Amino acid sequence: MPPTGIETSRMNRKKGDKGFESPRPYKLTHQVVCINNINFQRKSVVGFVELTIFPTVANLNRIKLNSKQCRIYRVRINDLEAAFIYNDPTLEVCHSESKQRNLNYFSNAYAAAVSAVDPDAGNGELCIKVPSELWKHVDELKVLKIHINFSLDQPKGGLHFVVPSVEGSMAERGAHVFSCGYQNSTRFWFPCVDSYSELCTWKLEFTVDAAMVAVSNGDLVETVYTHDMRKKTFHYTLTIPTAASNISLAIGPFEILVDPYMHEVTHFCLPQLLPLLKHTTSYLHEVFEFYEEILTCRYPYSCFKTVFIDEAYVEVAAYASMSIFSTNLLHSAMIIDETPLTRRCLAQSLAQQFFGCFISRMSWSDEWVLKGISGYIYGLWMKKTFGVNEYRHWIKEELDKIVAYELKTGGVLLHPIFGGGKEKDNPASHLHFSIKHPHTLSWEYYTMFQCKAHLVMRLIENRISMEFMLQVFNKLLSLASTASSQKFQSHMWSQMLVSTYGFLKSISNVSGKDIQPLIKQWVDQSGVVKFYGSFAFNRKRNVLELEIKQDYTSPGTQKYVGPLKVTVQELDGSFNHTLQIEENSLKHDIPCHSKSRRNKKKKIPLMNGEEVDMDLSAMDADSPLLWIRIDPDMSVLRKVEFEQADFMWQYELRYERDVVAQQESILALEKFPTPASRLALTDILEQEQCFYRVRMAACFCLAKIANSMVSTWTGPPAMKSLFTRMFCCKTCPNIVKTNNFMSFQSYFLQKTMPVAMALLRDVHNLCPKEVLTFILDLIKYNDNRKNKFSDNYYRAEMIDALANSVTPAVSVNNEVRTLDNLNPDVRLILEEITRFLNMEKLLPSYRHTITVSCLRAIRVLQKNGHVPSDSSLFKSYAEYGHFVDIRIAALEAVVDYTKVDRSYEELQWLLNMIQTDPVPYVRHKILNMLTKNPPFTKNMESPLCNEALVDQLWKLMNSGTAHDWRLRCGAVDLYFTLFGLSRPSCLPLPELGLVLNLKEKKAVLNPTIIPETGAGAQESASNAGCHAQLAGFQNPFSSSQDEEEVDMDTVHDSQAFISHHLNMLERPSTPGLSKYRPSSSRSSLMPQHSLGCDIIPPTKPPWSMELSRKGIGKEQPLEMGVHSMVAAPLSVFAKESTSSRHSEHHHHHHHEHKKKKKKHKHKHKHKHKHDSKDKDKEPFAFSSPASGRSVRSPSLSD
Amino acid sequence: MADAAAGPGGSGTRPGSKQSTNPADNYHLARRRTLQVVVSSLLTEAGFESAEKASVETLTEMLQSYISEIGRSAKSYCEHTARTQPTLSDIVVTLVEMGFNVDTLPAYAKRSQRMVITAPPVTNQPVTPKALTAGQNRPHPPHIPSHFPEFPDPHTYIKTPTYREPVSDYQVLREKAASQRRDVERALTRFMAKTGETQSLFKDDVSTFPLIAARPFTIPYLTALLPSELEIQQMEETDSSEQDEQTDTENIALHISTNSSLSGSRNGEESIIDNPYLRPVKKPKIRRKKLTLKQVLNSLNIIFDGLAAIVAEPGYR
Repeated sequence: MPPTGIETSRMNRKKGDKGFESPRPYKLTHQVVCINNINFQRKSVVGFVELTIFPTVANLNRIKLNSKQCRIYRVRINDLEAAFIYNDPTLEVCHSESKQRNLNYFSNAYAAAVSAVDPDAGNGELCIKVPSELWKHVDELKVLKIHINFSLDQPKGGLHFVVPSVEGSMAERGAHVFSCGYQNSTRFWFPCVDSYSELCTWKLEFTVDAAMVAVSNGDLVETVYTHDMRKKTFHYTLTIPTAASNISLAIGPFEILVDPYMHEVTHFCLPQLLPLLKHTTSYLHEVFEFYEEILTCRYPYSCFKTVFIDEAYVEVAAYASMSIFSTNLLHSAMIIDETPLTRRCLAQSLAQQFFGCFISRMSWSDEWVLKGISGYIYGLWMKKTFGVNEYRHWIKEELDKIVAYELKTGGVLLHPIFGGGKEKDNPASHLHFSIKHPHTLSWEYYTMFQCKAHLVMRLIENRISMEFMLQVFNKLLSLASTASSQKFQSHMWSQMLVSTYGFLKSISNVSGKDIQPLIKQWVDQSGVVKFYGSFAFNRKRNVLELEIKQDYTSPGTQKYVGPLKVTVQELDGSFNHTLQIEENSLKHDIPCHSKSRRNKKKKIPLMNGEEVDMDLSAMDADSPLLWIRIDPDMSVLRKVEFEQADFMWQYELRYERDVVAQQESILALEKFPTPASRLALTDILEQEQCFYRVRMAACFCLAKIANSMVSTWTGPPAMKSLFTRMFCCKTCPNIVKTNNFMSFQSYFLQKTMPVAMALLRDVHNLCPKEVLTFILDLIKYNDNRKNKFSDNYYRAEMIDALANSVTPAVSVNNEVRTLDNLNPDVRLILEEITRFLNMEKLLPSYRHTITVSCLRAIRVLQKNGHVPSDSSLFKSYAEYGHFVDIRIAALEAVVDYTKVDRSYEELQWLLNMIQTDPVPYVRHKILNMLTKNPPFTKNMESPLCNEALVDQLWKLMNSGTAHDWRLRCGAVDLYFTLFGLSRPSCLPLPELGLVLNLKEKKAVLNPTIIPETGAGAQESASNAGCHAQLAGFQNPFSSSQDEEEVDMDTVHDSQAFISHHLNMLERPSTPGLSKYRPSSSRSSLMPQHSLGCDIIPPTKPPWSMELSRKGIGKEQPLEMGVHSMVAAPLSVFAKESTSSRHSEHHHHHHHEHKKKKKKHKHKHKHKHKHDSKDKDKEPFAFSSPASGRSVRSPSLSD
Repeated sequence: MADAAAGPGGSGTRPGSKQSTNPADNYHLARRRTLQVVVSSLLTEAGFESAEKASVETLTEMLQSYISEIGRSAKSYCEHTARTQPTLSDIVVTLVEMGFNVDTLPAYAKRSQRMVITAPPVTNQPVTPKALTAGQNRPHPPHIPSHFPEFPDPHTYIKTPTYREPVSDYQVLREKAASQRRDVERALTRFMAKTGETQSLFKDDVSTFPLIAARPFTIPYLTALLPSELEIQQMEETDSSEQDEQTDTENIALHISTNSSLSGSRNGEESIIDNPYLRPVKKPKIRRKKLTLKQVLNSLNIIFDGLAAIVAEPGYR
C-alpha cells in the first residue's frame, strides 16, 4: 500500500502545524447513533451507528474506527457486508508471559499500545475492509455509509449504570445511566472516530422506558412513543459539526426544570431533588451573560442542558451543548460553603462549552490552548463574581500548586512536540509515563497541566493586554461559527479546530506583538523559575543593592531571562522597577527616592494612592525601605524566596493592600516568632476590611508563632480573647452567641479560629486545657435555631478542632489501649465524637460533613495511641452505599492504617476494592490516596513489598484497568511510587544475568543483579528486552502496515472469504459473542500490532511468523485467527499464499535491520526462542470458540 | 314587619312563664330578641311583608350559629398564633374559611336601604349575684361599649405574684438550653445504640462509647443532600419575613398573570414556554394504512419476539 495521507500529514504537523490535514484517508461528515434498547437490569445496550464518509484517496480499502468494549455483530458498507477485524492492544499491554516487571518497559509498551489505536494517527481498534464490489465506487471518491450493529454488556467504562437495589420499577428506583470518561472515551460506548479533530454532524436516537428521559447533545427534535406505548424514542440532531469525543448521553427518570431566565436551557436532576436543582441553577444565567458579554459572541449551541447524576466520574464534564455534573453539587439555600464551589463548577463547564466543545483541538499537543482559554475566561468570571482579592488569591494558589508539582516531578510541558521518536528527544524523560497521549498521563499531571495552561494564558494577557486577548478569542469563535454553518462544506469544518500555531498567529495578527519568547519559555519548555533574593541598602549612594539568584539546575526548574518587576515601598511612596534578568547579572542597583526618615509625621503613600500613618519606630533608622516585593504581579511562573527583615514583613502585612503580598508576609512571619509579629497578625485578624482568607491564614500563623514563643507568651492563649470579643456574648464571655452566619467573612473566621487555636501547645507540648475547654464550650453552647443557614460545616470544623488538639499519648511500653487508661481530656473528646456521629444517623447533615470529620478525628485518636488502632470501623463506612464523601474519608483512614500498621490484609482489601468497587471515582481515589500516602516507597524495606504484590499491581495496570484510562494511569502512579522505574527489588533475579545495553552497545551484567546506584543506573537498567521493544516503537507503523497490506490483497482475492464471512455473520450468537474477549488470544496479539517490532523477530510475535514457517502446516491459519483478535472472518486471509508472502515480507524487512542490530540480535534470539517455544502450543490453549472455529472453517479445510 | 315584630314577643313568652328567674337567661333572651329584630329587618329589606314564626325562628337560629361559628373560629385562629385577642385578620381568615366573600362586605355595609338597629335595651342585663364583693370592679376600657357586661370581681383576675422571678438571666438560659439539648441527644442516641447494632472503638468495652453501626443506604445521596425536616422547619421560622415578601410578590405575579391582557409581562410568557422537553410525546406513526387481522397478529408476534430477545432487530426503527 502506498503511503497514505498519514505520513505526510504527520510531517506537516511537525513542521509547525499549519492548517489541518486529517490523518485519515477519508472525511467523516455525518454519524447516526441509534440506541434502541437499554436494559438497566442487565446493564446492556443495543444499537447501531451509521457513519457517512467520503474517501479522500482513491485506493481506500480499509477503514479504521475506534471501538472498545462493544460487541460488533455486523458491519455493512453501502448495504454490503464488510469484513472487519478487531484488535485492541491496550487491553493487555504486556503479554502475560513476560516476566518483565519494570515500569520503563511498561510505560513504553503502553504508549505504543495507545498509539497503535490512536485516532489522531489514523489508527483504531476496529478495521473494516471495503468490499471489493465498492472499490470502483471508492475510486470515484463517492460516499460510503458504514452501518455497524453493536451491543454493550455490563460496560466497565465509558457508560456508567447506577441501579439502586430497591423495590419498584427502574424509574421509581432512580436508576440512571450516563456517559463518562477521561478525554476521548466515546469509543467505549459506540464505534466512532474517537478524535477531537474529526468533526461531523449527528443524529442521535435513544429509545428508553416511557418513564425515563434521554438527554443528549443537540436539539431534541421530537419524542415518539413506540408502537406498544411503553417506550419512547428521543430524536436529537446536532447540526454543529462536533467531535465524537464530545458526544454524551444521560438517561434516567429525571425531573425537568426549564430555566426561568433562559428557556433554551433545561436542567435535569434525579427524583426528589427538584427544589435543590431550582436553587442551584438559579444563578446560571448570570454566567451565561458574563461569557457572552466578554466574548462578544452568543452561546454557540441553540440549547444547553445540565444533568446532575449520581456516582459521577468527575464533578464536571462538558460535552457539546450539555454538561454532566455530580448530583452532590446540588445544595439548598441554607448551605454556605458549597455555594461558591458549585457556582465555580457551573462556570467552568460553561467556559468549556465555548472552548473545548464548540471549538475543538487539532491534536493532543494543542490541548493546552483550549484548557488555557477556558481556564482563563473562567478566571475572569471569578474576578467579576468573587472580586479581585479572591481572584488574586486563586492565581497565587494555582501558581503555588504548579510550582510545587513541577519542582517535585520535574516539569509540565504544555506543548509537547515529538521529534523523530528518539528516546533522548523524549521531552518528558523525567516522568514515569509518556506525555505523548492524554491516555497515558497521570491524572495529577493532567490536573497540573490544566492549571499551568490557564496561568500561561494569563501571562499572555499580561503581555498583549486583555482587550487583545478577548479579540483573539472572539476571532477564533467567529471563525468557528462561520465554519459551523457551512453545512455542506465539510472541509471548512477544520476552522473549528484550534491549534497552537493558529492561536499564536491570531495573537500576532490581532496584537502585532511578538510573544514567541514567552511561548518558548512556558509552552515549549517545561519547568518553573526559582528565585532567591536578598538585598542590602547602601546608605552612601542611597541605593538598594538587590541580588537575585536563580536555581536552574534542580529538576523542574528553568532559567529565566527577561524583565522582572520589583516593587519597593519607601517612605516617600511605592516605586516599580523593571529589572532585566540576564545570564550572569546577579546584582541590581536600584536608586532610592527617599532619604531615610526626614520628617516623621508625614503620611506614607501606598501603591494604590492611599496615604496612611505608620508607626515607623520599628524601622531601621538608616534605611528608607519599608518592604520590597519581587514580581508582585505573578507574571513569571516562579517561586520566590526573598530575605528581608522581620519588621519589613510586618509592615508589608499591615500596609500592603495586595492579598498576595499579605499572604506571603504571613508565611514569612512564621520564621519570626516575636511579639511584634504577634501584634501584626492580631491586628490583621481584627481588621474587618481585610480579606477573609488572609485573616484565616493569619490564624494558623499566629498559632505557630505562639508555639514557638511558648516560654515567653503572656496573656491568654492566642486568639482566645479575640474570638471572645468577636463571637461571644458581652455579658457571659464563655458562651458563644447564637449562630448568625449572615456575614460570610465572619462565618469563615469563626469556623477557622478554633481549628487554629487547637494547634496551640504548652511547654509540655500538650494542647492547653483552657483551649480544649473553650472548644468544648463552643460545641456545647452551639445554638443554630435562629440561624438562616445550616451550621453543619461549622460543627464539622469544631470536630476538626478537637482532632487538632490531640497529642500523642504517653505510652508505657506499648501497653494495650483500654478504656481505663484513657486520658480524661480524650474521654471528653471521644464523648463529643460519639454523640456527633450517632446524631448523624438520626439527623444527617448536608453531605455528611460531620461524619466525615468524626471519622478523621477517630483516626487521629488511633494514630496518637489513645484508642486501639483498628480499621474495621472505617471499613464499614467505606462500603458501597454510604455517601461518597464518607467513603473517601473512611478509605483515607484505611490507607493510613495500612501504612502505619503495615497491614497486608488491609492492603489486599484496598486492592480488591480498586478492582471491584462499582463507583469509578472511588476506585480512582483509592489509588490516588495510596500513591499520596504509600504503605512503603521504593527505597524502603517493608514486609508488604513482595513478589505477589508486584504481580498483583502489574496485572492491575497491565490488564485489569483497560476500561478506564484514568484508573490505569493511577495504577501506574502507584506502581511507580512503590517500586520506582526499574525492576522491583523484592523480585527474584531474572534468569538472564547478561543483558545488552543498546546505548553503549555492549553487554553488561543485568543491573538487577548489581544493586542500583542512582537515577543514572535506572536508565540503563532496563534490560535487553525492554530496549529491544523501545527500538521497535520508533516506527510502529511500517511493519504492521506492510503485513496488513498483504492481508488485504489476498482477502480481496478471495471470494471464499466473503461467503465464509457471511456464514459467520448469520450466526452472531455463537462465535461472534466471544470473539471480542481478548483474553483468549491477547498474549499473542499484542506485540504484532502495538509494537510492530521490526528489528528482532524473535521478541515479537515470534509464534505468529515463526510458527507459520515452522510449518504447523495446515493449521497455519490459526495464527492469523489469533492475530486478528478473534475476528473469525479474518482467518480467511490466512490462506497459504498470504502467510507465506507475509512472512517473506517480514523476513525481508528484518534483513535491513539485521545489519544495524546484528550484534544483539543473536542474544535476543536466543532468549526469545526459548520463549516462543514455550508458546508453541499457546494458540491452542487459548483458542476461543472463534479462533477454534477458524481452524475448522470451511475455507481452511479446503 | 308587624308579624316580625310579634316574633320577639312570642319568643319572649316561653321563658316569660317563669318571668326572669335568672338574669343570665334574661340576657340570652335579650340577645335572641335582638337577633330576631335583625332577621326581621333583613327580611323586610329583602321585600318580605310577613313571615311565619317558624321560619323567623329558623333564620334566627341559623344566624346565631353562624355568628357563634365566626367567634369560635376566630378565637382558634388567634390562639393559634399565640394571641389572646382576635384581630381583624383572624376574622377575615375565618370568613374566608367559611366561604364568605369578604370583598363584598364593605359594599354591603354601605348599601342604601340598610336599616339601623338600635342597641338592645339595657334593662335585661345579666346581674351576677353579688355574693362576695372584694374591691372595686374595674371600669370598661374606652374601646368596650358601655352596653357590655361589667368586669367580674377583681379577685377573678387580679394577680399577686408570689413565685420566684422567672429565669431571664441570659447565661442561665443558654446553659439550660444547651444542657437540655445535650441530655436529650445523649439519651436518644444511647437508646438508639442500645436497641440497634453498634460498633465500638474499644475491643474490651462496648458500652461506654457505643457507636450506632454504619448502615449503607440504597440511595445515599438523598439523605446527604436534602435538608432534614428539622432544618426545613427552622428555615421556615427564621425567614418567615422573607417568605412573606415572597408570597407578596407571588401574589402580584398571580395578579398580573390573571390580568394578562393588561401587560405582556414575563409571567405572561411563561405560560407558553416552548421547550422541547415539555412538548407532548408523539404517537407512533402507523405505517400501514390497512391492517388485516393477520398483520395485527404478525406485528404482535414481532413485538413479543422483540421483548423475548433483548437483542433488537438491527434495522428496526
